[in-house]
Amino acid sequence: MCFICLNSVSFTYEGKKTPAVDDVSISFDAGESVAIVGLNGSGKSTLARLMVGLLRPQEGKITLSGRPIEEYSLPEIGRKLGFVLQNPSHMLFNTSVYNEVAFGLKWKGEKRREAEHICCDYLHYFDIWDLRDELPFNLSQGQKQIVVLSAILALEPECLIMDEPTKNIDNYRKEKLKKLLLDIWARGTGLIIITHDYDFVDNLCARKIYMADGRIMADEH
Amino acid sequence: MNIDIRTKLLISAIFSGMALVYQKIDYLLIILLFNILTLALFKIRIKLLLCIKKLLYMSVIMIVLQSMFVRTGHPLLKPGGICLLTDDGIIYGAAIFLRFIILILSGLFVLNSNISELTRGLVKLGMPFEIAFMIQLGARFIPVFFEEMGEILNSVQLRGVDMRKIYKRKVIKVYVSIFSPIIYSVWDKAEKLAILLELRGFRTNPARTYYREVCFKKIDYVIMILYVLWAAVFVGITLVR
Ligand SMILES: Nc1ncnc2c1ncn2[C@@H]1O[C@H](COP(=O)(O)OP(=O)(O)OP(=O)(O)O)[C@@H](O)[C@H]1O
Ligand SMILES: [Mg+2]
Repeated sequence: MCFICLNSVSFTYEGKKTPAVDDVSISFDAGESVAIVGLNGSGKSTLARLMVGLLRPQEGKITLSGRPIEEYSLPEIGRKLGFVLQNPSHMLFNTSVYNEVAFGLKWKGEKRREAEHICCDYLHYFDIWDLRDELPFNLSQGQKQIVVLSAILALEPECLIMDEPTKNIDNYRKEKLKKLLLDIWARGTGLIIITHDYDFVDNLCARKIYMADGRIMADEH
Repeated sequence: MNIDIRTKLLISAIFSGMALVYQKIDYLLIILLFNILTLALFKIRIKLLLCIKKLLYMSVIMIVLQSMFVRTGHPLLKPGGICLLTDDGIIYGAAIFLRFIILILSGLFVLNSNISELTRGLVKLGMPFEIAFMIQLGARFIPVFFEEMGEILNSVQLRGVDMRKIYKRKVIKVYVSIFSPIIYSVWDKAEKLAILLELRGFRTNPARTYYREVCFKKIDYVIMILYVLWAAVFVGITLVR
């Protein structure tokens, strides 16, 4: 049984004539690593938003673990899927970098000591420990992106859906991110990565999906 | 029909003014009827009303509450000897509801037009350009603001916070914590916008020209006179009665 299943899904934004996602049928297995690539405006982000239930398709069905996605609430989806939005500023809402990473862990019911431990691990891993007391909005674009990634990765979801995770981040951290992703993938976490960075996903994702004009043009395994 | 924004402003002012002056249901109904006819005449999309559906719900609740506090008239609902609702109360509530709708509809009438057209109209009416421009920017950024707020609320929930299941105290805490980044981002945006405006030469030349001028046409005068006449007749009749 597939983990996320889309069955002839179409979505048109209000006031637009052409659909942003047009009759897409696709399925992702648990623990699969997939890259979604395509030109600007080809509907990748829209597809990702549909998969995490932020948008409702006008046509077609989406199921998550065999249950229709409408039956889940957003927090329930959030516990299964880690979603990184294309714009990191929309995901930062805490008063310090440290709290940003700790936020989800606290709500997950992690013990205080345990949460602290995980936070420190991630902040040290990405070399942003020095920023721990900074306001997240005052960071550089790349730093924001890293903080968001740490906050989502720390939650250890079953599957990660990331919209351009490598945007703005330097090569040093990109390599670290790649190593980490390979590691968690080997431990069974699914990866769905939307990107323009072919090098990054080259030996990370076995499956590559090409999108154009809201449709899937190719699906290479 | 393509009419000048100032004509629209006048019509809207007539209707909202009348809605505020009159209190009787029968008069308000007639005003509402004309208001709707006007909207239809100028082909305003009533679909816009759907955007303010929540506001309407809220007003209904308010009206119900209001009418419960009117004590005069014959009691209609009297559970356990306590007078809850009187016929006067219902009439009072209905009148408020009608006023509300007329105000919203006349607001829609203006909002339906192009926002930069509104700016030009306001400038022609003597408002300083800076202020008119600020109104334009405000109107432009309100949807962006709400979008951002929705986006952040979504990402809070996607991190596993169930707003419906947590305690009230905690909900407030979460909202407060979300609000600060939003205020911050609005502030940031405003600052950047100010710089951007200067970079593009905002106000370097005091005599500003317009690519599209707003101007009155014959039809505008005709419509304005018709509406003023209508209002005068209406007021006259109600005064005589
Ligand atoms: N909020 C929105 N409202 C209306 N239309 C939108 C909105 N967001 C995206 N679109 C439209 O939907 C189409 C697909 O957009 P989408 O953001 O999914 O593209 P994308 O593949 O993620 O592009 P990019 O590589 O630039 O991120 C585009 O044509 C865009 O104009
Ligand atoms: Mg995108």
